[in-house]
Amino acid sequence: MNRVDLKTFFFPGQKATGAFNKEFKVDPRVNTEELVSLEFVIKTVDLTKKYGDLVAVDRLNLEVEADTVHGFLGPNGAGKTTTLKMLVGLLRPDGGSISVLGQELGWDKPDVRSRIGYMPELPKLPKHLKGRELLDIYGRMYGMSKDAREKQVPRLLDMVGLKKRENDLIGEYSKGMQQRLGIAQALLNEPRLVILDEPSLGLDPVGMVEIREIMKEIAKEGVTVFLSSHLLHEVEQVCTHVTIINKGVAVASDTLEQVSTKVRGPSILEVEVDKLTETVIKKVKELPFVADVSKDGKKLLVEVKTRDDVRSSVSQVIAAGGGVVMSMNLKGESLEDVFMDLLGKNKKKVEAAK
Amino acid sequence: MSVNHSGWTVKFLAVIRYELLWNLRKKKFLGMLIVAFALATLSLALNHIAYALGGPPVELNPDFVINSNAGLSGFVFVLFAIVTTMNIISAEFESGTIVPLLAKPVSRTTIFLGKLFAAFLTLLATYAFLMIYMTVGGFVVFGPQNNLHLVPLFLVGALFSTLIWIAIVLFFGTLFRSSLIAAFGALGIWIGTTIIGSIIGILAGQGWIFTYIPGSGNQGFANGSPSPLGPIGTAVSTGTDSIGSNLINYILHPSWEITYYKINIAGTTPDQVQWVRLYSEPFSNVILTSIAVALVYFIVFVAISWYVFRRAQITE
Repeated sequence: MNRVDLKTFFFPGQKATGAFNKEFKVDPRVNTEELVSLEFVIKTVDLTKKYGDLVAVDRLNLEVEADTVHGFLGPNGAGKTTTLKMLVGLLRPDGGSISVLGQELGWDKPDVRSRIGYMPELPKLPKHLKGRELLDIYGRMYGMSKDAREKQVPRLLDMVGLKKRENDLIGEYSKGMQQRLGIAQALLNEPRLVILDEPSLGLDPVGMVEIREIMKEIAKEGVTVFLSSHLLHEVEQVCTHVTIINKGVAVASDTLEQVSTKVRGPSILEVEVDKLTETVIKKVKELPFVADVSKDGKKLLVEVKTRDDVRSSVSQVIAAGGGVVMSMNLKGESLEDVFMDLLGKNKKKVEAAK
Repeated sequence: MSVNHSGWTVKFLAVIRYELLWNLRKKKFLGMLIVAFALATLSLALNHIAYALGGPPVELNPDFVINSNAGLSGFVFVLFAIVTTMNIISAEFESGTIVPLLAKPVSRTTIFLGKLFAAFLTLLATYAFLMIYMTVGGFVVFGPQNNLHLVPLFLVGALFSTLIWIAIVLFFGTLFRSSLIAAFGALGIWIGTTIIGSIIGILAGQGWIFTYIPGSGNQGFANGSPSPLGPIGTAVSTGTDSIGSNLINYILHPSWEITYYKINIAGTTPDQVQWVRLYSEPFSNVILTSIAVALVYFIVFVAISWYVFRRAQITE
């Protein structure tokens, strides 16, 4: 008769030990040196999730580098939230593996979550609690000491602009305030990794700007941010890296510049120059972000390798070479075009190709 | 930042705090106290009301408190179980608050146990209030009371009786993630077993089945003997709803023998109805069986709920 391993039966996410003993307890202490040298804070291999016949996430190989702001971009229903829920243990993968902060993720393995902050899509927080109470209780759940909670909770409430409303019930908060409190609770444990699911969803323009400012603040503090969004301009403004997912499949993943460049090729800066001389051309070519320069009558076509705004640098160099800039125009596709290309939805291009 | 990862107790207490604040803020605890207060007051005032309506005068009754069951009955146990437990798991799913909660570094087992313990504490506080109020009220209305030292035993019994229903409510709430199904599921089982139990027990003589089902159980008579108008003796319910009163009666009357009867209906007139003795058993058997039944049901339903909760995926 086959021996049933009770640990596997009751704790399906845990590795079998052959006996129902205390060994399944994971040592919760973290090797911080290991974390410092960690290359990828998130790494999935062939991660798969199915809902019946629907494959929501299809063999996803995701790598999120440490100390980056990584956007997870895709249309609604692409599998973003499903992926994020698997990363924090709310959904069980049907295939593949997940490693977060160097630890293999098993089912109901709470210790890994002690170093992750997670804000769900449109966070639903218990309305019967006050803002400060909620953070205090969650802080206790993170195992934070009283001193730590007393320092961290007011700091975060201040950061997200809820200090004055800390003693109001969450049920009385506006959607934007609840969203901001959702971010605060995700940062409570000073996490190494913050996972934000559509942080701007449902907010008005002012709220969206506020949330983005907060995200930039988080990034400045050296926290790796993994951010799902269907808003291209949000990703463009906040992220350094991006993975684009469609129908559960990752269609591109790299730095924001590389993803754009790979698909659309380099951006072309078209500069109309009076007194266009060889000296001007030479000086422009010497700029570090310039890939190539060509001349088209009075126009100078500058191929740039970066997504940064380089117009002032180019203008200065041209002036230094004796030229006069009459007009300047950056030609190239927006990330939106790239995104639509990758999803195969760029109708203009499809029609042009016909 | 100092993080104490090994503080299971701290996390467990945090879950209890989270849950108790819900009970307090949602006025759940207050509601239960009001119901308990109303029941006890009604029980205390019943004789006075009867007297005002032309009944016999109210006399001193030194056994009032010990015989009153603190105004609690099977339905109240179910009601309190529903109020304390119907939304401890299901409401978290319904409102979506389960998502941030489960994303915290607290195991699902700890969350489950913390919530269950908070429900137990709420219930304990309500019953303790009820017992104290009933004891003081009984003393004031009916004079000095006997056997008050046995009142805590009734508290224990009432908790046992309610815990079964808590486990059943929890089971439905966790399985279906719906507070309504949790409430009506438990209520349905209680109504079903109570009504069907009475009918089967009296008519078919198969009431013993209901000894093993939560609720009022079988009906027997202490030191009973049959008579044309029914058995003579003290009626005793063997079910899990009566653990408290049975425990007290056992202390007071340890030698009771419980006898069970069935009705034979030969015609349509009362003299054609016959009460037939079925069997007898010691009172201690009745109590031990009901406690065992309570424990088995509690453990089984809680274990299933825990297993379902632990494996639950958050798809919404």
